Amino acid sequence: MVEAYIDFFMRLSAAFATIYIVALGHSLFELSGLLNLSIDGMFFLSTGVAILLSAFLHTLLIPIGVNQLACTILATILTGLIMSLVGLSLAWILSVFPISQGAVGLSLMFLGYGLGIQAGYPVRLKYGSITQFTYPQTPSLYIVTISLSIITGVLIHRLLYSTPIGAMVRACGEDPHIASNLGAIVYKVRLFTGAIGYFLIGIGGSLFPLLWLRYWDIRSYALGYGWFAYTVALAAGRHPILLIPFALIFGGLLEFNIAIQASYGLPVDLAGMMPFIASIVLMMLYSSSKLRRSFEPPRSLGKIYYKEERTI
Amino acid sequence: MNNENYNNLILSINKLSKVFPGGIIALENVNLDLYSGEVVSILGENGSGKSTLVKILYGVYTPDSGEIKLRINNTMLKVHFSTPLDAMRHGIVLVNQVPQLIDRLSIAENLAITLSTLKIKSSVFSNIEYVSKMLRETAELLGVKIDPGEKVYNLTYTQKQFIELIRAIMVDAKIIMLDEALTYLPPIEKKKWYDLLKTLKNSGKTIVLITHKIHEALELSDRIVVLRKGRIVGVVNGNEATADRVRQLMFGESFNGNELIKQNNSNVNQHLEHEIVIENLYVSDDHGREILRDVNLNVKKGEIAGVVGVSGSGQRELIESIVGLRKPVRGKIKVAEVDVIHQGIKALRRSGVGFITDHPLKYCISSDNSIVENIALSCCPSGLILNWDLIEKKTREIIEEYNIQAESVNSPVKTLSGGNLMKVIIGRELERAKRVFIAYNPTRALDELSTVRVLNKLKSKARDEKVSVLIASDDADEVLSICDTLYVLSSGRLIGPFNPRNTPRERIEELMVT
Amino acid sequence: MRIVILRRKKEIKYNAIISSCISVLFGIAIYLFILWLFNVNLVDAIVILGGSFISPTIVKDFLIICLIGCGLIISFKASIWNIGGEGQFYVAMIPGIILTLIVFNPEESNAGIPSVLVIILVIITGALAGAAWATIAGVLKAYMRVDEVPVTLILNYIAYYLLNYLVSGPLKGKKTYGYLRTDEIPGLYRLNIVLSTPQATSSFEGALYGFMTQVAYYLAVLIAVILVFTFIMWMFKYTKLGLYIKILGANPDYLLTSGANVKILTLCAMALSGSIVGLTGSLYLLVEWGRIPYGIQSHTPGYGYQAILASWLSMLDYRFLPVSAYLVAGLRNTGLSIKIAGLGDTEQSLIILGSFLLAYSITRFISDYEVKFEW
Repeated sequence: MVEAYIDFFMRLSAAFATIYIVALGHSLFELSGLLNLSIDGMFFLSTGVAILLSAFLHTLLIPIGVNQLACTILATILTGLIMSLVGLSLAWILSVFPISQGAVGLSLMFLGYGLGIQAGYPVRLKYGSITQFTYPQTPSLYIVTISLSIITGVLIHRLLYSTPIGAMVRACGEDPHIASNLGAIVYKVRLFTGAIGYFLIGIGGSLFPLLWLRYWDIRSYALGYGWFAYTVALAAGRHPILLIPFALIFGGLLEFNIAIQASYGLPVDLAGMMPFIASIVLMMLYSSSKLRRSFEPPRSLGKIYYKEERTI
Repeated sequence: MNNENYNNLILSINKLSKVFPGGIIALENVNLDLYSGEVVSILGENGSGKSTLVKILYGVYTPDSGEIKLRINNTMLKVHFSTPLDAMRHGIVLVNQVPQLIDRLSIAENLAITLSTLKIKSSVFSNIEYVSKMLRETAELLGVKIDPGEKVYNLTYTQKQFIELIRAIMVDAKIIMLDEALTYLPPIEKKKWYDLLKTLKNSGKTIVLITHKIHEALELSDRIVVLRKGRIVGVVNGNEATADRVRQLMFGESFNGNELIKQNNSNVNQHLEHEIVIENLYVSDDHGREILRDVNLNVKKGEIAGVVGVSGSGQRELIESIVGLRKPVRGKIKVAEVDVIHQGIKALRRSGVGFITDHPLKYCISSDNSIVENIALSCCPSGLILNWDLIEKKTREIIEEYNIQAESVNSPVKTLSGGNLMKVIIGRELERAKRVFIAYNPTRALDELSTVRVLNKLKSKARDEKVSVLIASDDADEVLSICDTLYVLSSGRLIGPFNPRNTPRERIEELMVT
Repeated sequence: MRIVILRRKKEIKYNAIISSCISVLFGIAIYLFILWLFNVNLVDAIVILGGSFISPTIVKDFLIICLIGCGLIISFKASIWNIGGEGQFYVAMIPGIILTLIVFNPEESNAGIPSVLVIILVIITGALAGAAWATIAGVLKAYMRVDEVPVTLILNYIAYYLLNYLVSGPLKGKKTYGYLRTDEIPGLYRLNIVLSTPQATSSFEGALYGFMTQVAYYLAVLIAVILVFTFIMWMFKYTKLGLYIKILGANPDYLLTSGANVKILTLCAMALSGSIVGLTGSLYLLVEWGRIPYGIQSHTPGYGYQAILASWLSMLDYRFLPVSAYLVAGLRNTGLSIKIAGLGDTEQSLIILGSFLLAYSITRFISDYEVKFEW
């Protein structure tokens, strides 16, 4: 009985941590006014990079005495750093040039899928199962993961709401022209959120194959889990603390979806469809209810920032 | 140049030029020197290049050519500002007509951005509390109380502008530029600002006052620089300046104030039918606060009614509600027999209502489309198929009548200058206005001559075609010159009607701020 | 170094063509860079790239991408980003299967209805299904202000699952030799024309016969492309609806104040767009597939996504759509031929799609802005 509870806790916390950290990074990125439509592709890319790095580090470091946990942690951090570079480049391109954020995001989504396969497939081909490269299944590790995720969330909340840099991030999201008049260098602020936001997306993405599923397949790119993080962030108004309950509910739904459906005897394809329908319903509820007013998205989200825009 | 003058020289602009898309010349070879401890007014009409000049000095716009030199460590060095932060680092601060504060942030958060990027007693990661403290102290010195945690959207226009000034003082700016920042302040507040600015000047600061109001420039300037069509056409010393002299420089030979039809409108008493009926109207603004309370207003057939108020008194919201763009909290609006709240814009347009709202680029024109497409959208006859011949003919007529400078009817609207663009809008909307014409600041961006032409056209529309006209404006001059009845918007209430011919201007201005 | 970006003061000549060319070249550069990162011999890659553009297999991809592109451009011109071509394409196949295999199955209940009528009915219901699927996102956008990009994308996933569910359940075939898929559509409803050509004596003849066979096989799609093309050109040039859609894309607020019903127009643009994609889907069923397999997500050629690239590269100008569709078809064929790490075509197609879309999105701004470097 106790084991069943522990198992439940571990599954739920892995799902929560993944969704929460990705949604947190995504929210931070969008709060500075940059639309992040590439979220799903970038999420998948992180999963591919994570298993590639983990496999590489394990074969490299285990022989010289480093333990499995350290290798996996290192893989997670490196994935975050690599994604952080992607975030930096993305933020730079989007804030220096007057280009459509939606279009670039969409392109990167496809690129992310393709490169994610390219990164992860050789590992899958060579080793078949990737369980040897994942995190050990000890309950204490899950407690640490959950705590670290929530601490990160609280820290980001403090950063956003009680420091000048946080004010700058929100100002750039509301109106980059005014933010600039107040003294913020818009592209630098966005580079900052780009780097941290994508670092978190990378960390969250790496937890997906290394902690949550312990499995990776090229078909995972068609799973669309990045979109669930997107929905969670949207519904929680990109608020670091409010994301917690939403991530918990959505993570739980995804993890236990099949089990829930099976108990009702629904076909597997209909079960697979449910989280997507739930996403759309959540978006509808958010947009048409009072939620939208209280958690209004940044006013300049997705708008091209061109300094010399004319007015009459 | 004498030596004392040179020692006081703080900024020097040399042959500055800037051209905008569509070949619109905003600035052409502008030379200007600024000295410490003086107030310089830059005076000019809308579109004369005043704002472009200060935006270049504040690092918002990039000049096409020319150089700016600034006194740094007692030598004049060439500088290049690519962001406002660059400008602020060199002691230049701009206060805009529209407060440059983020509404959803608190006052302290807004100021924290400036202070931390300038590294004034803080870094970008320090706690915001210190800003609140500094802010309270500075405000106390100026004799006001401020709650630093208050969200900016809860502030009035005057309060916001005051915060902007505090910002300039807190960063210890050497040059404070005010871009029409005083224009829309209530007269009593203006007096306070004049005193404040004089104190700042006496402490060695340079004040650059950008305005199109001559009396404002005359009030406290040591020098008045007049800009016309992007060129400096004259510099007058403060003690030698007279309103006539300056006006002549501003408008050149073209100005002839007598062109406006002065004839009284005899329609008003002849007709009794009301074309615009507004009863018990309550409207909220973008932040959900009530901005109009219990507004009642009637406009008769052939009558020109004007509504004035200081900027942000609800003129924009009033016009938006009347044309169906904003849903009122409650009340009744009937225009040309259309129940606007329930029937909407489409019905309004069908019964012959032309209108121009605030933000013309957003609501009144599509910049990427051609002139003819823009006209087609409003003026095409019913049916599913477009008759391009007819639409092109109509477009040519409008271009001719309003003297619009455009390469062809197929030029994209974005290639036109602000004034010509506004003329396309006015021409089209007046064409549409068979029964009613409603507008907010309709002559913005127009030069004096075009303004007079448009106002005359409005008069004849009302007199000859019995069109009812409702004009709302932040500018009492625009409205006073043409309307038959006048209303004042103040603190959410509509006061009036007044007869503009026998109500003294002072009385109107007084009402605007109470 | 400082980068200064300013709006162009004058429009440049041949703007659309120049920007398209720049973005294609930039796209090739990004793609080759990625191949280089993965240690692929670039000379081989370029040879494959060139060869893909003259292979007869390009005909099918060209026609399908062209037709879907026509549909997508309608919504793109309205600035409604219909990324749901995939879903609309597949959902449109459902009525086709129901009509040909259940309602009008000649073996079971031949009601004596001419096959032509059934085919027309399949195409019409397919277009309607596509329109309905697209309109879901339209309604959400118009009435609830939900961003259409994630919605159309998520609807693609839902469409995949829906088809998978139908194929494995209610529409599961009876004569499939144990495979999970629908039965094959009866021959008299199929639209493909098989042309027999004489034995080729030279490689030129081979290629020529190859093209002839392909064109004949997909003749129905070719006819549809011509008809749809003409209709849309006419619509945008001469009808009020066309003008409304253009202005909706440029400035919806102005459209609103001019008295038009922006919400209904949003629905119209989405429905029209979806109906053309749906029409393509039903043609694809009648001409190419003949049945729906299980596991759409691994069988899909991804035309719904490739057509996005084609319409963007055409700068939303119909006159350039055939050129860009040809280009995208060629690139798709390249993706099929370049294999790395012994893998299938999936990741190459995705990488090509991503690289070129990215190149387009980034370089697009040069047609309106100029870039200055100041040292």
